[in-house]
Amino acid sequence: MAIKLNAADSRPLYLQIIDEIRRAIILGTLQEGDSLPSVRELASELVVNPRTVSQAYKELEIQGIAEVRRGQGTFVTRNVYSSLNDRIAVAKRIAKKALADAKSYGVSTEQLLIMIGELTREKTGSSISIKTG
Amino acid sequence: MTIAQTAKSENYIFAVSSNGLRKNYQSRTVLEEVDIRVPFQSFYVLMGENGSGKTTILKMLMNLERADNGSVEIFGCDSKFNAAQARAQIGYVPHLAEHEYQWMTCRQFLKFVSPYYPSWDTDYCGQLANAFSLQMDTSLTRFSTGEHRRLQLITALVHRPPLLLLDEPFEGLDPLIRRKVLRLLTQHLADTPTTVLITSNQIHELESLADYIGILGSGKLVAQMSREKLHLLVRNYSIETPQDWSLPEQFSGLVMKYSSLGREQQFTLLGEESDVINRLSQSGASVKDVQPLSFEDASFALLEGAKQI
Repeated sequence: MAIKLNAADSRPLYLQIIDEIRRAIILGTLQEGDSLPSVRELASELVVNPRTVSQAYKELEIQGIAEVRRGQGTFVTRNVYSSLNDRIAVAKRIAKKALADAKSYGVSTEQLLIMIGELTREKTGSSISIKTG
Repeated sequence: MTIAQTAKSENYIFAVSSNGLRKNYQSRTVLEEVDIRVPFQSFYVLMGENGSGKTTILKMLMNLERADNGSVEIFGCDSKFNAAQARAQIGYVPHLAEHEYQWMTCRQFLKFVSPYYPSWDTDYCGQLANAFSLQMDTSLTRFSTGEHRRLQLITALVHRPPLLLLDEPFEGLDPLIRRKVLRLLTQHLADTPTTVLITSNQIHELESLADYIGILGSGKLVAQMSREKLHLLVRNYSIETPQDWSLPEQFSGLVMKYSSLGREQQFTLLGEESDVINRLSQSGASVKDVQPLSFEDASFALLEGAKQI
């Protein structure tokens, strides 16, 4: 499993680790019942303070995504993205990032939406319909 | 009971602390009122330009150098009075590779130093020597700088001390070996709860291990804070200002960096975000954007800021 951290990202490292593991779950790289690398393994692979990895694993446990089995390791307990709410949460995060990027380049929200529509049409040949409300 | 165990049971917050540390070499002030605080089991990176006094502080902690004023404590004990006991608790990698005992082979040297450390782990010693690809039967005279450095790291780690004092430990190591050493250090930390005080100017290598940072600027500890604090207190402010505007004087000493592009000015400032925004707005500037910095950028900003003070 390739978990990557971005040194330019200013978010706390444990959050970045959580996101990477969540992403591996969405992509199916990690599935229910799979074991996560040990704290020692992941810490030394990423050269991250082991306490940071432990903190990420603890948080994943609180979120109900992973489970520590004594003496065996940490395991994925469920697919986080099985429910509609989870998907909405991911979509929201991606959208927020796109909006922030757009703002920093002076692109309006409308322009951004039009462009997303155009690119989708180019790629799939069919246009997307956005339902609101 | 060892000092570290005492410290733990008495709940000392700091593994290493100094109070009003001062040192002059003739008329030159090397350290001025340094109050360093290294929390128990933290990974503390001490940064500063060459000659800012980092090595002197570590030597004082090892009782290899005396302060003109002030005191240092290791796990709550004054290391001046308990030098031997304190030293047995410390894995120390000095700044300059020492060339003592050159006539020994690597194996002989390790065997020779092991009795000084009650908790010397022979198996671990073999593992580390292997991982660092050190030729056990080569004489130390034939060791390169990098090999000496690796040998020092082994001696520091192998007795699994509760405190590591590492003075530019990766200097003289080539990039691949550096990477390997960092991995081994990380594994070491996962296996053995350790407080680490490390000096380095290569912050990008250590940024994901660090949880505290101290910045030395011409003998003074100009900043010392946790990773979380650094994230909150050092931010980039993009502002637009009326003509003839200048930064209010109350910000003097808090500007870490400044740049401008066209009408927009960017300041990297030290302070609580809401407070900084208020003060900027009151001065007539309009704050367009506030961005947090990565750990590396924030520490470099502090380092640059330290030069101006």
